[in-house]
Amino acid sequence: RRSEKPNWDYHAEIQAFSHRVQENFSLDLLKTAFVNPCYIESEEARRRQLGLDKDAVALQLQDNSGLAERGLRFARAYLAQCFEGAYPELPAKGVEALVNFLTSRELVSYVAQNLSIQDLALCRDFPAPPDVLQRTFLAVIGALLESSGPERTGIFVRDFFIPQLIGKDLFEIWEVVNPMGLLLEELTKRNISAPEPRITRQLGVSTVLPVYFVGLYCDKKMLAEGPGETLLAAEEEAARVALRKLYGYTENRRPWDYSKPKQGLAAEKAISSN
Amino acid sequence: RYVRQLQRLQLLFSPTAADARGARQFVEEAAQDFARQHPDVVLYVSPHSGPGPAPVLRAEYLNGTVRDELIASKTSEEIVQLATKLANQSGLDIIRIRKPFHTDNPSVQGQWHPLTNKPSILTVQGPRLQPQ
Repeated sequence: RRSEKPNWDYHAEIQAFSHRVQENFSLDLLKTAFVNPCYIESEEARRRQLGLDKDAVALQLQDNSGLAERGLRFARAYLAQCFEGAYPELPAKGVEALVNFLTSRELVSYVAQNLSIQDLALCRDFPAPPDVLQRTFLAVIGALLESSGPERTGIFVRDFFIPQLIGKDLFEIWEVVNPMGLLLEELTKRNISAPEPRITRQLGVSTVLPVYFVGLYCDKKMLAEGPGETLLAAEEEAARVALRKLYGYTENRRPWDYSKPKQGLAAEKAISSN
Repeated sequence: RYVRQLQRLQLLFSPTAADARGARQFVEEAAQDFARQHPDVVLYVSPHSGPGPAPVLRAEYLNGTVRDELIASKTSEEIVQLATKLANQSGLDIIRIRKPFHTDNPSVQGQWHPLTNKPSILTVQGPRLQPQ
């Protein structure tokens, strides 16, 4: 463990962490954010084993579970708001799938690892398991929320979580079982007639690897076109391409806008909706 | 936002050896300025007494790589330059980069595939008009 190797100053490391992330934290909140419940239990067990009195056994440290919960709620609400603002056509299930992906264990622990949280977090096992890292990072977000207010925390969450979506396709994150049914629902909402699938191009029909391009036409105008190995696969792919176009999540959309911070009104709505 | 990839710098030197003179001068004069200019790097100064190993500047990065740089017989300015160079690096391995360019969007209008410019089966071809 890095904290047991020579040259380690916890206070200096925590100050350096707050400078690295360019945020002002109140150091007490940050120190409580790094304390995990498993650490407190292991410390108490160790002290009891060494035979200390009951008073000395009880540590004066608080957990990070409250902070972690607050951080998680704020992050989810803020990210949901971001996506609703940026992709207004996306349905609630899609937004929920995106937010779940961004707050999932692997992603959050990957971000935490690369921000050196695994050295600063106090926990029982080494190397820190991913759910501990996730809880610690969310507690850091909660501590930032308490110290600097919702606006700065919103900018922090935006800067560290949204770049993880670069290069990812919508349907890699959101599992859709029946894209054709979803497409029919979307089209009925916009009062467009049902799509008619037609084969647009085909190659190598009688070989082992045929390629069919199926286009979906509504009122004789093309909605989307998708390739596939068999006719069914091509039709499904065309439905997915059509959904991507409708939700505005294509590959050639405008990249995310990081320029100005969100207005205070939006951030307060996030807090009040918790 | 920019996150500096250097986590901490450990300066291991011996207070009596002759080749650690630059390191001692660096600690006396320039170390505090360096630490003030880079508040997100933790600088540890650990002199080990007696004739020990050669003076070394150890840099630890956020992705775990540890890089040692010998500072024996270097002047204080050279050590400052070395430290800033390490502070501006990232922790990726220093190997030959195969190509100096990389893009995540290799094609703007869609990559060519054998069916791009072929007309679709559904386009109707009318009878040829007689030249007037």
